[in-house]
Amino acid sequence: MDLEIAGRRAIVIGADDDPVVAACERLLSAEGAEVVAADDREATIVIVAGSRRPRSTLLEGTGVDDLYSAWDEAVDTITEYRATAERMTTGGWGRLVWIGSAQAKSVDAEQDELGAVVSLGMLGLHKVVTSELGPGGVTANAVLRGGDATDEDVAAAAVFLCSAGAGFLSGITMVVDGGAGSGVF
Amino acid sequence: MDYKLAGRVAIVSGGSRGIGRAIAELLATEGARVVIASRTLSNLEETAAHIETFAPGRVHAVAADMTDPAGVEDVVAQTRAHFGPVEIAVSNVIGHVIDVSREGEGPGAGSFASLGSQDYRDEFRQLFVSSWALARACIPDMQAQGWGRIFNIGSHVAREPATHLPHVLPNVVRPAVAGMHRLLAARLAADGITVNNILTGSILTERNASYWQWLAGSRGQTVEQVTAEATAHIPLGRMGQPSEMAALVAFLSSEQASRITGQSLSVTGGTAAHV
Repeated sequence: MDLEIAGRRAIVIGADDDPVVAACERLLSAEGAEVVAADDREATIVIVAGSRRPRSTLLEGTGVDDLYSAWDEAVDTITEYRATAERMTTGGWGRLVWIGSAQAKSVDAEQDELGAVVSLGMLGLHKVVTSELGPGGVTANAVLRGGDATDEDVAAAAVFLCSAGAGFLSGITMVVDGGAGSGVF
Repeated sequence: MDYKLAGRVAIVSGGSRGIGRAIAELLATEGARVVIASRTLSNLEETAAHIETFAPGRVHAVAADMTDPAGVEDVVAQTRAHFGPVEIAVSNVIGHVIDVSREGEGPGAGSFASLGSQDYRDEFRQLFVSSWALARACIPDMQAQGWGRIFNIGSHVAREPATHLPHVLPNVVRPAVAGMHRLLAARLAADGITVNNILTGSILTERNASYWQWLAGSRGQTVEQVTAEATAHIPLGRMGQPSEMAALVAFLSSEQASRITGQSLSVTGGTAAHV
């Protein structure tokens, strides 16, 4: 399947030890996209992988500074989106993808409560971006990872959302959790 | 129906005006003892004096910044001292964006293109930290008694962002608050504590009325035109009243609603489009 992203410049951001970053970069490269540094302002594909915090909690041991620190991940992602948005709308094409925690959709999925909070903020933002940048050909979507999804599973979904064929999808949330989540909607 | 709220101890932040005031009034009417908290003591005293007329001895006012965890802790300590352990906590802190008393659309208004990092941090403090801090400060009392009710008063934009308005900040932060409450509900159910998120839509508060007035001015329209336009989208054909928000909070506080938790319920007159 040709994803029709050959020649496009792509940024993938995430924790150094998060294998999903390399998995995304590998798939993008295989499709002929050029993976560039995070400060490249010519990029029209941006994938941001949120931190995984096994067993993060909103209560025990979590202070207000921990909340602000977690929220800054959303804030930094929004900053990255903004930095690239102008180039995307000028060219009439852009893809923004957030990789977050499936717990944002279903509390059964896994124990990353701070990750869920950050991801929900991003899902709200995507609706705004969809409305504001949609006319400029820019889409904003999320992949939520949970269950026993592999990094390859997650990366495949993220890179699909960057494809030409995904151009009419915006503001959506794709849960990649092997069916672990129990919510119907 | 007897909701069995007589003697229960409640805290309502933003309790001096609008939706918070309506909730405080109704809980007190049902026999609860209510602490109202907000920034402005004069507003609190006026509301407390009114509640005293029909619920003598069942209201107490504390001025505090409810977006500051230290301010919240102080209110909870004063509530314990005055009435006893907290059983019902209602977080009702509004974002800046429609606070037209400040300046125009409010300092938080803006688009994705115009807003900066600090705006998102400030709104997180206003909407998320305020709600989290009140819940966290009250949970020990509730756990000790094996009974509790935690509420957040949010907005339906948590589910369906109002992308036609320059309200990016609440559109981003409110879903996070809804998730926080859902997670707390799962955690606290075994302690007999329910956690629910009540979402407004077109509730006619004083602040909303002044917002309509400001919006009309900025568009060169009359208030009637602006409100008629807003009302046209509401299937029930009218704005909601603060008392209709309070009615849901009172019901969910009751014994009868003890198995309802982790919900986000929209009081919108039927505008919600999602299934």
